[in-house]
Amino acid sequence: MVFAGLPLAQLLMIAGGAASVTVLLYVLKLRRRAVPVPFARIWDAVFRDRQATELFSKLRRLLSLLFQLALLALLVIALGDPKPKQSLLEGRHLVILVDGSASMKAIDVKPSRIDAAKTQVKKLVRGLGSADRALIVQMGSLPSPLSTMSSDVTELDPAIDSLRASDTRADLERGLSFAIDSLRGLPKAEIVVVSDGVLGDVAAIASHLDLGKASFAFLPVGKSGSNLAISEFSVRRYPLDKSRSEVMLEVANTNDQAAQVELTLLGDGAIIDVSRFALGANERLPRYYPDLAGASHTLEAKIRFADGHVDDLPADDHAYALMPERHRARVLVISKGNTYLEAALLLDEYLDVTSVLPGKPIPSAHFDVAILDGVADPLPDSVAAALYLNPPEGGVPLKLGARLSDFGFDTWDKKSPILRFLALGDVQVADGHALSTSSGDRVLGASDQGPILVAGARSGHPFVALGFDPRNSDWVLRVAWPLFVLNTINAFVEEDTSYVSSFRTGEVWRIPAPSSVDSATVTDPHGAQHVVPVKEGRAVYLGEEAGFYKMSAGSGNDVVQSEFAANLSDLSESRITPVSELAIGKRKAGRVSIGAPGSKRQLWVYLLAVVVGLSVLEWITYHRRITV
Amino acid sequence: MGLLDLFRRDPAPRAKRRERALFDDEFQRKLEMLALVSRRVFAGRLRAERRSKKKGSGIEFADHRDYVAGDDFRTVDWNVYQRFGKLLVRLYEEEEDLSIYLIVDCSSSMAFGDKKKFDQARRLCAALAYVGLANLDRVTVVGVNDGVISRMPTTRGKGRIFKVFEFLSGLTPGGVTDLGSALTTFVAQHKRRGLAVLFSDLYDPAGFEAGINVLRFNKFEPYVVELVDPAEARPSLKGDVRIYDCETGEERELTITDGMLDKMQRAVSDYRAGIERFCAQKQVPYFPADVNTPFDELVLRVFRRGGFLR
Repeated sequence: MVFAGLPLAQLLMIAGGAASVTVLLYVLKLRRRAVPVPFARIWDAVFRDRQATELFSKLRRLLSLLFQLALLALLVIALGDPKPKQSLLEGRHLVILVDGSASMKAIDVKPSRIDAAKTQVKKLVRGLGSADRALIVQMGSLPSPLSTMSSDVTELDPAIDSLRASDTRADLERGLSFAIDSLRGLPKAEIVVVSDGVLGDVAAIASHLDLGKASFAFLPVGKSGSNLAISEFSVRRYPLDKSRSEVMLEVANTNDQAAQVELTLLGDGAIIDVSRFALGANERLPRYYPDLAGASHTLEAKIRFADGHVDDLPADDHAYALMPERHRARVLVISKGNTYLEAALLLDEYLDVTSVLPGKPIPSAHFDVAILDGVADPLPDSVAAALYLNPPEGGVPLKLGARLSDFGFDTWDKKSPILRFLALGDVQVADGHALSTSSGDRVLGASDQGPILVAGARSGHPFVALGFDPRNSDWVLRVAWPLFVLNTINAFVEEDTSYVSSFRTGEVWRIPAPSSVDSATVTDPHGAQHVVPVKEGRAVYLGEEAGFYKMSAGSGNDVVQSEFAANLSDLSESRITPVSELAIGKRKAGRVSIGAPGSKRQLWVYLLAVVVGLSVLEWITYHRRITV
Repeated sequence: MGLLDLFRRDPAPRAKRRERALFDDEFQRKLEMLALVSRRVFAGRLRAERRSKKKGSGIEFADHRDYVAGDDFRTVDWNVYQRFGKLLVRLYEEEEDLSIYLIVDCSSSMAFGDKKKFDQARRLCAALAYVGLANLDRVTVVGVNDGVISRMPTTRGKGRIFKVFEFLSGLTPGGVTDLGSALTTFVAQHKRRGLAVLFSDLYDPAGFEAGINVLRFNKFEPYVVELVDPAEARPSLKGDVRIYDCETGEERELTITDGMLDKMQRAVSDYRAGIERFCAQKQVPYFPADVNTPFDELVLRVFRRGGFLR
């Protein structure tokens, strides 16, 4: 017999202390209940039996003391969690890694692979020997222990019930590393993988992972693998017409037979396209939806067999994306009047334009961009960026160079977002100035006589300066003029530059968030809320479910709400054909060993039951006045 | 009595109601009935016609004695003279009103157990006082413990019964029982001898015999009414207790068991048997009065037993 609970020395200390207190209490003289009688002398006849009564009383008190000490001893022994010596020395230590990847959501076995895995694990736990101990670990993108290393079925069962499959791939290498660490130093170590075998490149694990002396066993789950998948899904707005967008998706048929499929595209919850086509065996087919209209916020794609029947893994039949959010850019125009400029600004309905005459007070509101047409009024800090058209000498971030006449763009930066898609080679300019650049400035366009279009930044405020009045050229009559204006504004407001239409599950997401907050609250597709840290303007979160997420950051009036989408987008998880064998390099997984038979009873429970029984007996004898 | 009364801080109103209930209208009606019953049971007896042992001018013949000079000739029994030739004078019992002393034990033991014994004693005392007053006897009520603690002056006539009620209501139990000492004082205060009815539980540490003997030795006619509360014979006690005498404070430490309670019951029976035996030996009328028996029934038993009314 050994004590698995408190050490023996500590138990003895507790027992000694408690016994001392108990004996001390019994040594104290009993305070008898005072009862009046009408004539004490009559009791003298009874009192002759006093000697015998006292003897009985003393004996009864001694028995009571012994009874209390016996109860105390039982409690102290129970506190020590006594176990048969054999049960501690000869038991197995199992880490049961249960695959919680997306493929375990497959319904080829009813009700699902993960439920079948739970049943298998429960059988395994119930078959543990008396001295065996097991640890339940859910193996997703990260291994998650769901219990302690325990032999207690009442602890392991709830852990098994809490197993679930997520929309991620299972990282077997991390799971095995965790298991090896957990089993380090423990005798009879055994790792059991319960999975459908869809675990990525298992062979590569062997090169940098050693299972050591731990036994390795595999419990296969699943029986077939008929599946269609949407393996990629993204959307973007057109740079020049942000009211329209284009969608790219990739569908895959992981079956060995060709199939007719039906692909449905939904915008803001309404169907905007349904198409039927054939997918060959194991074919991946990219599809584009250019010039897509009808969606302003959410996009979803669904795939299924054309004949209507559902494949074995519904989890990858549905993909989600969010359209890039458009926000109104506030533009301040300081001009005496420029029809061509105003016409260009009218092309984008999301521009909020404020016009001010030169020399007049500038509104104190925040502006994303200021366009200064032939003027160089000083700008307040509330103006984030500036576009100077034909700036006068002085007050401009850069100096004017030589006066130019009859010139054009001889060179320009075609990769610049400001000038992309523009054809400027035949633009004719009557007159203007060359611009003098400073360190850090970038020449976007130049004639052979000097720079005429320069971008740079002063005191953290970016600017673009054009060295001539566009009205003194034929540029304003070309499509390139409004594109130049809108590209410049877009470049300043940084719209679209880092937009991600959907994240990939199982990866750590870095979601744009206000840099002023330390944490944000992410609401997952099931409505559960998670508080996540915000580092350098990015909320960090490991997402495991596909669908639409919401995030709020800040408090009070400064709460910033945003949304994002997540997809499985993992073709390896969509290939759900189960495997019956698992091998790490040359190490082939075997069968689960059988535990030593024996009783798993907890002795302390029985000791406690004896204490309760004795207490009840004592209560009955006292209250029924048998012993008093 | 309402439940809330039990939780009143001031017990006075409850005590007053209890005292009022002791001699309420119902009680008085029963007294009338007892008075009537006493006349019917003892029909032929005249009021205030108790025969004393003195010989006098009554009409009831008592004895003869020799004629001496100066005797009234009308008292000479001429029939005897005619038959035997001797002059004998007829003696008649002198008729006088009897003194009835009702002695109520007011010690603490009488109040034990919710004052049942004390209340029963007072009711019996009132009933017998009423019968006595109705018979035009001289009734005196005395409260004693280890001395005479209170005394109602001698009175007669049925109308004075309310004075008796008032006196009995004013009695408060307390103190130690010492009947010998108390009744010695009593006999010293009352030279006129008569019937002395003692209402007591006879829990006298000095011995109940002393008090009764004082009455006997001083030519009183003692009549013992022992108040009995059956609950005292077998108290509901168990376990380790420290019992103390409610009068003397004497303490005993006991561990009470069922066997001990049986012995206690026997001890009480023995004690009461001792009282009865003593009274029988000394020809003192003894009457046990159970507190659970209605007082009117007890009074009737007293009448039937005899000795109180002649």
